[in-house]
Amino acid sequence: MYRFRFHGRGGQGIKTASRIFGTAAFLEGFNAQDFPMYGPERRGAPVAAYVRISREPIVSRGYINNPDVVIVGDETLLFDPIADPLRGFGGGVLFVNTPSTPRIELDGHVVTLDITGLALEYIGRTSAISAGVGAVASKIAGFTKSNTLDAVAMELEEIGVPGELIDKNLKLAEVSYDSVPSFDLESLPSIERSDFVDMGVVQVRLDDGYIGVATIANLGNTAIRKTGNWRILKPIIDMDKCTGCKICFAYCPDVSIYMGDDGKAHINYDYCKGCLICSSVCPFKAITMVREVKTL
Amino acid sequence: MLTGNAAAAWGARVSDIDYVAAYPITPQSEIVELLSKWVASGELKAKFVEYESEHSMIAGAGAASLAGARAFTATSSQGLAYGFENLFAVSGWRAPMVMVNVSRGLGMPMTLQVDNTDVFSARDTGWLQLHAETCQEILDFIILAYRWGEDERILLPVIVNMDGFFLSFTREPVYIPSQEEVADFLPPYEPPHGIAFSPEELAYAPTIILGHSYSYFRYQMHLAALKAKEVFYEIAREFGERFGRYYGPIEKYMLDDADIAIVSMNSFTSILKGAVKRLREEGYRVGVLKINMFRPFPNEEVADALSGVEGVAVFDLNLSTGAGGIIYPELLRSIYHMESRPRVVLDFVGGLGGKELTYGEIRFMVRKVVEAMRGEAEPTPYPYLLFTEEDVQRLAADMEIAGKKWGGF
Ligand code: SF4
Ligand code: SF4
Repeated sequence: MYRFRFHGRGGQGIKTASRIFGTAAFLEGFNAQDFPMYGPERRGAPVAAYVRISREPIVSRGYINNPDVVIVGDETLLFDPIADPLRGFGGGVLFVNTPSTPRIELDGHVVTLDITGLALEYIGRTSAISAGVGAVASKIAGFTKSNTLDAVAMELEEIGVPGELIDKNLKLAEVSYDSVPSFDLESLPSIERSDFVDMGVVQVRLDDGYIGVATIANLGNTAIRKTGNWRILKPIIDMDKCTGCKICFAYCPDVSIYMGDDGKAHINYDYCKGCLICSSVCPFKAITMVREVKTL
Repeated sequence: MLTGNAAAAWGARVSDIDYVAAYPITPQSEIVELLSKWVASGELKAKFVEYESEHSMIAGAGAASLAGARAFTATSSQGLAYGFENLFAVSGWRAPMVMVNVSRGLGMPMTLQVDNTDVFSARDTGWLQLHAETCQEILDFIILAYRWGEDERILLPVIVNMDGFFLSFTREPVYIPSQEEVADFLPPYEPPHGIAFSPEELAYAPTIILGHSYSYFRYQMHLAALKAKEVFYEIAREFGERFGRYYGPIEKYMLDDADIAIVSMNSFTSILKGAVKRLREEGYRVGVLKINMFRPFPNEEVADALSGVEGVAVFDLNLSTGAGGIIYPELLRSIYHMESRPRVVLDFVGGLGGKELTYGEIRFMVRKVVEAMRGEAEPTPYPYLLFTEEDVQRLAADMEIAGKKWGGF
């Protein structure tokens, strides 16, 4: 059995990418099982998906702790403590969607490709990376290009993507497929490891009532998570054009715009998620969005 | 490749349902979304009604069934609870509709993930219950459920349960039989006592009755539910002959030569089956008993499967607070009158809220049973919670964010 784990952010298409890969595996004649995991969070929160493929029937289910291949759809998640994409990585293949070369020391193969850049080029959208990510996983597994592209078309059709957009996605998938190497999965050292992790069981004791109820008592607890790191496009305010009309301030859904002493709008990039709303509502066209490249 | 939800929708579609009563709730919504798409496109000739709540939805589907339609609905957790009162109404009407429950914990604390306490709370409502481990089982159980509930000897509604996320959003290869193949097995529903197409004029009204009548009618439902097990064998055999997949009230996995049995239901059984192979490599002679049918409860089958087994670990993905797991007492009832029943039966509550079930926890269950068998540990009627060192670390982090002064364990 080969275990693939996908990481990304809500809205990025990671679940679809995992399904493209699952379907491609099925078309290749594997038994496949794919399973996305996400909570009630909004766009941008970390999500993961797990795909098992095997020539034998799959007698397993749920989370994958010992992945052979890890696919990271968003570079900023690489060291995120909640997403923790490197958890259990055991010398297989790590793929990261990034324009830069991540500085990480680890046993195993590291593959990178700027799928977001390619998505901007071929589709014109930063969020539409599922076809690229799915195709990359498919290539890493050594699946044929035709099965890969068939899987992309099937899965995008399934979620109601219109025809001409599917064609653009197929182009993105093909370029992505051609840009990464494939691996002999059987030779990866991680294959030796079992699906199981061994963890000690502890005895849970009775705590005081005020502790044992699921409430949050801490003010300002989001300070711990600087949600601005999932931004792909960054809003930049041209201070010469800004009249201080406060329209962007009122519209920003993340309360990331504040009015400065200079009477003009300023952005708190720790929490700005790059949603483009401010730039689209500014009547003076004072806000431009630029691609932000984070170095890892 | 179908998700559990898509398998449920396909199960309803090939069963040629006439009526869909819908109300959305995560993780079930995909089922009724697919059905509404097919009704709109004409691929499924059924009436689709979106209700304003699960309470009306269940009543509406039951009424449609009573009027002679093959009715379908689906819900989960809070939705099931909201419609709960009408579960009794529909079973009391003896209306054989089918409802899929996508199991999810009931808030508070709020979760979208699995906890079978929701579906087990419907245990006493008069509905029959089948619980699926795989996406294929979901589809097959829906077809079986219609044939089963509609049988004139039974006439009871059926819940087909699947676990949220672990099945509802998991895709696996699923064989979809054609509508024609299914139609041969499951002919159109001809309600034997339907009120809509009766040749004679009839009145139909619910009544308020005295104890003797109440006792009689309630007990009739009980007898019909008991009879349902026998009828299930009949129809499951025919289903197997036609489709090549055989189902029973229980399934045994590597149990024949086992000293220790892990008893389980639903999707986590796959994880346990995988672990059993490895436990055997470590020298534990262990197998899995999966219970597919929760109502009627297959007492004889469970007792038979556990004869010759010395120790039993019950895996309960649910919790009746103040007592323990819900499968545990059901199982004890099955085995109490056995001549040589298993000496040790322990209860383990795990996987709550979709919490991962790790190998360490599975081995913990087996070891505890072995210790009790050797007299090294006290047998206890209370459950052990499967909770790992890593869970403690993650909880500690959450507690810190929440601002709770928590000292750990
Ligand atoms: S909407 Fe434009 S002009 Fe108005 S405050 Fe914002 S940036 Fe300045
Ligand atoms: S892009 Fe603009 S509107 Fe959106 S979060 Fe950032 S500052 Fe707010």
